[in-house]
Parts: sequence; structure tokens; C-alpha cells
Amino acid sequence: MKTPDDDKRFEESAKALFDDSVERLDAATLSKLNQGRQAALAEMAQATPSRQWSRWMPATGVATAALVAVVVLRGPGAVDPPMGPDPTVTDFEILMGDDALEMIEDLEFYSWVDVAEFESADNAG
Amino acid sequence: MNACTGVFAVSCSGEPTTGAQTLQRERQLNQFLAEVERRALRIAEIGVRDRDEALDLVQNAMIKLASNYADRPAAEWTPLFYRILQNGIRDWHRRQNVRNRVMVFFGRGSRDETDYDPIAAAPDPAGRTPDEELQTQQAMGDLELAVGVLPTRQREAFMLRTFEGLDVAGTAAAMGCSAGSVKTHYSRAVHTLREKLGEHWQ
Repeated sequence: MKTPDDDKRFEESAKALFDDSVERLDAATLSKLNQGRQAALAEMAQATPSRQWSRWMPATGVATAALVAVVVLRGPGAVDPPMGPDPTVTDFEILMGDDALEMIEDLEFYSWVDVAEFESADNAG
Repeated sequence: MNACTGVFAVSCSGEPTTGAQTLQRERQLNQFLAEVERRALRIAEIGVRDRDEALDLVQNAMIKLASNYADRPAAEWTPLFYRILQNGIRDWHRRQNVRNRVMVFFGRGSRDETDYDPIAAAPDPAGRTPDEELQTQQAMGDLELAVGVLPTRQREAFMLRTFEGLDVAGTAAAMGCSAGSVKTHYSRAVHTLREKLGEHWQ
């Protein structure tokens, strides 16, 4: 019979193995991580309010590309399908979009950020 | 007009920020990312079974955190960072599925996921007997494979709670779900993993 202690031991073993694998990452990988971190910090330095609107540029570009694709794929005088999404267009959007999915998924996340911001402002005030 | 306009930069939240504060923030973020990046890489690697892809995902998460949320309180960075990373991993899987469908359509088939060998991809050995090294790598390889085939939410809950050490609230924030859901996913994940790995694992 399994007990909570067994679960605890399992979790500790898993954590120890994971930590061990983290400690033994090779130098080349650590160097790439460092480069990625420096790129992120450089991006932070460049981020200004005037650039904030550009967050929406990829989504706008994807929407425009999807619209063009729909027009081209359907052609002039095409008949509307009975119901449901066109799988070709759906795949096209997913293939092309880096941020579109995140925008949809992140609605709950942005809501959480707003609430957290409101609460921190409320606590500060 | 604000007389300080020419002196102060303005943060994303609209709060006036001095150059010294910005520099301090940058140092804090650098320290945070340096602390979290290696564990994040291994978590992403287990999620996508490819180190190069995992490196890209971690770098993207770092850039998004730095460019969009650097002005948030430092205590929020961990769940924010992992939220971004988990979204990236999920998007990666969706795109892989679509690409595989397209490749199958064109008759090229898909990459065989069993090609990934966690033992071969494991880091270099360091100061152990060959038997110990082999045993450790085998155990971690088994664990990676078992975690890798868990349902997405269970995998996320297990890795964030066990590997990253987030508490229930932090995991819930990173996963975008309730604390109760985290507990359920986590409990199921541990149960499934213990079933798969057996009593003699480790």
C-alpha cells in the first residue's frame, strides 16, 4: 500500500535527479543560455512606451495575412461553406502565427495581471 | 508639462524611472534569469524533447519577460516567466502537430519521436563511477520519458511543483488555473508516474 511518505520519497528522488541533471549541463549550453539572457536584457533596455504598440504588430500582420489567404484560396464568386471553420485556413493561421495563439490563451493571464496590478496599487495606496 | 521629462525615462507602467533605478532593475532581472534559466531549460527540454528547441523557447520567454514585465514586482517574475514558457511549449506542440499533418500530406512523414534518447542527450558525466553514472542517467531517462508522456496539465503541474519548487499558488498563477486544479493535476501526475516507474525505480 502506498503512503504519503512514499509519495514524498518519490518527489525527493525526482527532484534530486532533476537537480543533478541541471548541475551537469555542459559549458556550450550554459553559454547559449547566457547569450539568451543578454539578448533579453538588451531588449529590456530598448523597451519604451513608444514601442508598446508594436506588440500588436505581429498579430495584425497575421490577421492581414490570414485575410489575404482567405480571399486568395476562395477566389472570386466562391460559395460559402455550410458551417464550421475551413481547416486549410485554420492550419495556415497556426503555421504563420507566433503570437495569435498566445493572445487567445493569455486572456485569462492578462486578467490576472490586471487584478495583481490593482491589488498591488491598492496595497500601496 | 512635466519638468522631469528630459531627465527621467518612463517605464512601461508610466511611472517615472531614473537611470539608476533602471540599472538596478536590469541587475535584478539579470540575477533572476541567471537563477532560473538552467532549470527552465531542463523543464522545456523535457517538454519538447529537444535541447535546441528548448533553448529557443527559454530565450523567447526571457525576452518577453524582460520587454513586457520587467517593471512588475520581482516576486511576480517567477510565475510570469513560467506562464510565458509553458504557453510557448504548448504553442510549440500545436505547431508541431500542424507541421506533421502537412508533412504527412506531402508524403514526407513526421519525425519519429522515439528518436529522442534522453540518456544520449544527458549532460557530461562528472566524477562518479561508471556504474553510478549509468544508474543515475538511466533513472533520469526513465523519469523524463514518463513525465514527457503525461497529459499536458499534469506535466506542467508536476514540473513546476517538483522541479522548480513553486508552491501551489505560484503554480496556479503560472498555469492560469485554480489552486484546486493544481492539486488535482499534481496528485494524478505523481500517481501515474509512480505506477509507470514502479517500486524499484531509483
